[in-house]
Amino acid sequence: MNEFVTVFSAEVTRRVKSRPFLIGLVIGLLVIAGMIRAPALLGAAFSQELKQIVLTGSPQMLARAKLLLEKDFNVELQPAAPQTPTLSYLQHHHNAGALVRLQATGKQLHVTVHTRDLSSFPKSTLEEDLAPLNLALATASSQAVIDKSMNVPITVVGVNSKFGNEAASKAAEGIAFTLLFFLYISILLNSQLIMTSVAEEKTSRIAELLIASVNPSALLAGKIAAAAVMAIIQMASWLVVGFLLSPHAGTSAASQSVMGLSGASTAITPLDIFAFIAFFILGYLQLSTLFAGLASLINRTEDIGSLSGPLVFPVVGAFFLAIYALNSPGSMLVTVTSFIPILAPFVMFARVAVSNVPLWQFILSLLINTAAVWLIALAAGKIYRVGMMLYGRPPKLKQIWATLRT
Amino acid sequence: MLSVLHVKKSFGPVPAVRDVSFEIERGATFGLLGPNGAGKTTTMRMILGILTADEGSITWNGTRIDGRMRRRFGYLPEERGLYAKMKVREQIAFFGRLHGMTEPAITERTDYWIAHLRLQEYAKRPAGELSKGNQQKVQVACCAVHEPELLVLDEPFSGLDPVNAETLMSTLKELQSRGTTLVLSSHQMWQLEELCTRFCIISDGENRAAGTLAELRAAWPTRVLRVEPGSSAVEAVLQTVPGAHRLGSQEGRLDYQVPANADFPGTLRALVSAEAVTRFESIEPSLQDVYLRAIGAAA
Repeated sequence: MNEFVTVFSAEVTRRVKSRPFLIGLVIGLLVIAGMIRAPALLGAAFSQELKQIVLTGSPQMLARAKLLLEKDFNVELQPAAPQTPTLSYLQHHHNAGALVRLQATGKQLHVTVHTRDLSSFPKSTLEEDLAPLNLALATASSQAVIDKSMNVPITVVGVNSKFGNEAASKAAEGIAFTLLFFLYISILLNSQLIMTSVAEEKTSRIAELLIASVNPSALLAGKIAAAAVMAIIQMASWLVVGFLLSPHAGTSAASQSVMGLSGASTAITPLDIFAFIAFFILGYLQLSTLFAGLASLINRTEDIGSLSGPLVFPVVGAFFLAIYALNSPGSMLVTVTSFIPILAPFVMFARVAVSNVPLWQFILSLLINTAAVWLIALAAGKIYRVGMMLYGRPPKLKQIWATLRT
Repeated sequence: MLSVLHVKKSFGPVPAVRDVSFEIERGATFGLLGPNGAGKTTTMRMILGILTADEGSITWNGTRIDGRMRRRFGYLPEERGLYAKMKVREQIAFFGRLHGMTEPAITERTDYWIAHLRLQEYAKRPAGELSKGNQQKVQVACCAVHEPELLVLDEPFSGLDPVNAETLMSTLKELQSRGTTLVLSSHQMWQLEELCTRFCIISDGENRAAGTLAELRAAWPTRVLRVEPGSSAVEAVLQTVPGAHRLGSQEGRLDYQVPANADFPGTLRALVSAEAVTRFESIEPSLQDVYLRAIGAAA
């Protein structure tokens, strides 16, 4: 335990003073301001339009509406649809994104949309397409009536959604995007710092002195834990600055829109916060342990880039998958990858943030990824113990495999 | 006592240590000799638990060496390194802490080693700014700060200038006087001859010779007989010694190699009766001679 504490405190001190950490922290803080508004912009860019819709209402209106909507939507007419459709109902109708109900009240068209994705449903497109129908319903022809008729009242209701309304859904997506970005940057940055630290100890030849003095497992664990603390400090700093710089800073709305800690209209639930922390820890441990283990095979610091490249790709992939998951949390690709180690910390968190993930799936993902941490630590520990003493030519894959089997 | 019995270690298909055995009494200073690639460093790493022996046993005072015991050991590896950006004082204290030391002992021992190795002016400077010789001194302090029971030094004199080598020599003698068990490897035979009480020469991963210098010498089959004056009368007597072999003559003296079991008193009597002999000396083989012969036997 003393060995761990000693390595831990020395690592923290070294890292606080290290230039990469300070530069990363400062650049991160500067980027935060720009990132505050990015979620909405990027979210729109990545949003998948829900083109498949089920249209219901009176037969006369349906025929006319279909003609108007066909240029933007794939329309399936269902004169007799349930009042409150379930997710399976939508799935059984060509995996429709929404059920659109048309109702004429006097001379006004009322539209109710039951959608599986509150944040991405193209409400404005629907409104524009249906405007002529609303106009035709109007009996008076004065300009005022025409103007009024151009505005089609549309109510959007979620199907199997965790959010009460569209605004909460969009807010959650924005917050989830921001947190995903933090997760991505923090995990990647600190894992690479660990890799650099291990590689430096090896190339400076102090590794042998250290391993003769302290158990390699304690050494590795101390380094990873120290880097984790640094990552948490870094992330907390970013979140605080992000909160302070947000447009609603100082208002109670800000606490809801950025942190989402309480309130009836809150976008982020305690489960989301728990998921964020849990998957941050799991993701960090998986990657940093992997990076540290493989860094022990490096003989020259110049090799860090070439070794870290292949390790970074899955993380970048996981980040983009998670962004995709924000818009399509129910897709098969997203569901499957939310269990796969390295990917899951990003994808499952994204799913949890924007949809109702079955509890068993959430727990299963946590268990799989916890087991993965253990397995990666076991493998990385073996590689680390051998790798730190290995100089000369880099080991071949066959040798690494032989090491893992011992 | 450190006991190394029939240890073997291979790296894949390559055997690094085939069969090495030796025992070191507590407080003794032991020289592990051998050419490059003989298996010295691997043996040292196995003693310290950095590597695990494939076969054989290594014990300290009869107990298998574990992590806790290892903290009472010190190690100066052949390939040395320090945290370049960490200050000298912090670095020494860090290694003290790693070995379980606590305040105020850390401060006291760190101060002692800084003063002893004359590193005062560098104490607050990052190690990376020091010369190689001074960095080596810091490394010595790092491995000795916790007053280890057993200190293993792999090529400790390598790369040191004569002044720093002398400082290290006096440091090791001081550790010796305090009862620290020392295991050293070096290619500087005279330094080992001065320090060590026992030796083990290994080559190709196997024991070639072991014992005190006297024991190693006793096993040497020949002696050099040096006689003055190097006259023809003296030479004539020496040629009668069975197995004698002329090595050469220099500065009025004559050197002959004779069997170790030659009749030295009888030879001396014959020389005295033939010539006014002023010098009659049987020269013992040096450690270097013993080493080279052992290695040659292995070749």
